[in-house]
Amino acid sequence: MLSLSFTQQSAVGEIDVYHTFEVDGVDHKLWLSPCRQGYRLHLTDQVIAPVKFVSHNDSCGLLTIAGEAEPVRFVVDGDVLHVLIRGRTRTLRYRDPLRTLASVAGQDNSLVARAPMPGVVLTTTVSPGQSVSAGMALMMIESMKLETIIRCPQDGVVDRIHFEEGDSFERDAVLVTLTKEGR
Amino acid sequence: MHTLPFDTVLIANRGEIAVRIIKTLRKLGLRSAIVYHEVDAQTPAIAMADVAIEVSARTPIAAYLDIAQIIAAARKANAGALHPGYGFLSENAQFARAVIQAGMAFIGPTPETIELMGDKIRARNFVQRNGFPVAPSAIEEDDPATFVSKARAIGAPLLVKPSAGGGGKGMRIVRDLDTLEDAIDLSRSEGQRYFGDGRLYVERYVEDPRHIEVQVLGDAFGNVVHLFERECSVQRRFQKIIEESPSPALSPELRERICETAVGIARAANYQNAGTVEFIFGRGEFYFLEMNTRLQVEHPVTEMVTGIDLVAQQIYAAAGRELDFSQSAIVSDGHAIEVRLYAEAPERGYVPTTGKVLLLEYPHGVRIDSGILQGQHITTAFDPMLAKIISHAPTRMDAVTKSHRAVQELVLLGCETNAGFLARILADEAFLGGQFHTGYLEQNPHIAAGNTSDGLSAFLASAALLTRAVRDSADAVPELHAAIGSWRN
Repeated sequence: MLSLSFTQQSAVGEIDVYHTFEVDGVDHKLWLSPCRQGYRLHLTDQVIAPVKFVSHNDSCGLLTIAGEAEPVRFVVDGDVLHVLIRGRTRTLRYRDPLRTLASVAGQDNSLVARAPMPGVVLTTTVSPGQSVSAGMALMMIESMKLETIIRCPQDGVVDRIHFEEGDSFERDAVLVTLTKEGR
Repeated sequence: MHTLPFDTVLIANRGEIAVRIIKTLRKLGLRSAIVYHEVDAQTPAIAMADVAIEVSARTPIAAYLDIAQIIAAARKANAGALHPGYGFLSENAQFARAVIQAGMAFIGPTPETIELMGDKIRARNFVQRNGFPVAPSAIEEDDPATFVSKARAIGAPLLVKPSAGGGGKGMRIVRDLDTLEDAIDLSRSEGQRYFGDGRLYVERYVEDPRHIEVQVLGDAFGNVVHLFERECSVQRRFQKIIEESPSPALSPELRERICETAVGIARAANYQNAGTVEFIFGRGEFYFLEMNTRLQVEHPVTEMVTGIDLVAQQIYAAAGRELDFSQSAIVSDGHAIEVRLYAEAPERGYVPTTGKVLLLEYPHGVRIDSGILQGQHITTAFDPMLAKIISHAPTRMDAVTKSHRAVQELVLLGCETNAGFLARILADEAFLGGQFHTGYLEQNPHIAAGNTSDGLSAFLASAALLTRAVRDSADAVPELHAAIGSWRN
């Protein structure tokens, strides 16, 4: 795994392996390296050292970061980490580098349209096998009396619609899978 | 100790208020019965009630509005009284009548009072006729031909409202009289769409208004008292977020006048049981806005400063007892603040959030009225309020500090909430100074927006160190290589 090369990612430079956490819709790349008092945290714009985390149990820990100690409450739910530090709660989603690599390298032609908020499907305006273009309406959803149109992210062909009219879904749920045209 | 004429109360509600009512029923030695829709099966009230009866309908909300099923459940549970909570059927006169006709006590005011105050125009006219202050207004129904000219005569700024309305829907502020007719057309079509009724009224709009309401309590013997006021101006889209008592805006003299006015209105209506009179206050003047003939969400604020259990008082009144304290015996002590915890993201336009409550720990030293449990799924089936955090302290500043500490200490992981937003309001200069009105949040969008990048590295560090794959890659990297490796653009 360490020798995977992301040659298409020129922004990475010399480092071969990075990990990605998505927070509030933004991807953050980072990696850790060991140092004497724990680890060095490498972010795109800064390096912070030392950092150390001691878990007291599966929901309670102490983070030491650049000399400051912060109590942390957390829950690890698969790839999703819910973290509370000094009264502030955030959710971070770990993007497995293998999966990230797969979509970047184009091995998997899937494109997805995800739900921007939790809600219910009102109407679907496309069907499997249909050619669709970027910006085209795929379905109409409703959440707490707000109606939103889910639009196609890129030109392609509708592969599968994952929810039927009247079904409810969570935020980020994959609503429609598409394949690239000409596959 | 006098016994009550019923031993079982059916609660026709859910969430935190159902829990709240059960707590008092237990205190009074009464049996609690509750109706619930399947989606609420894992909520705390269901486990706490002595009897829980499932009701079903096309949607979860419709189940709690199904009068026939609810009455049948009450009969099945041998309930002698029914508490409607707030929302749902609590202000439905037809429901109140059905409960009474079924031989049960309805824990609330009489159906006639519910009808009077439920019709906003009728309520307003009633209050005005009895000599209490209402905002200058024009009612279309009275004379459609002169409505627009009368509205114009009130002068700007004014508010155009559907008369069948509620919750702020269809309301419009008109500051430029040239736009009055358009505003009337739009509000009319919205009134028709949301309430099936296009009739309107217009009212003087108070600039920088503050929402001040007074808790009242009446019995069947003509006694009516007030339990002081609550200020509920921190709101967005007419949804309250923070409430407190006493109001930082009122002088003792104004406070007395508003509370006495509320009592006068309730007395004129022969009001029984608990209710709240709402006023709009601004520039030293106050006007009657509306009366809510039910227990309100923010009632804990009043309970904390007066030491009076409002649900118990409601039960006694419904049991036909006379109020056993006079106005002079009711004293307001210290300051109480309630903040509402919602499953929503103020940082993203207050969009509703969902998820499973993976970890839940409440802060200490404050009162928590909650409708959620660890392990529960938060969905969009109902209103997004999760819990209320109420603090009580000798001074306002102490209460604010206590509330701020509490929302920071609250642990709720798995579903995003507005806890961070509440903390920002409680630290905001304008709020601390008591200088705000109902437009406060709208005029200060930075409070909702927060600061997304603030402190992010601590979160990334925690996430990285908690993720085995990240640690494993680190442990496999020789220290020297790591020291020279760098990002390059």
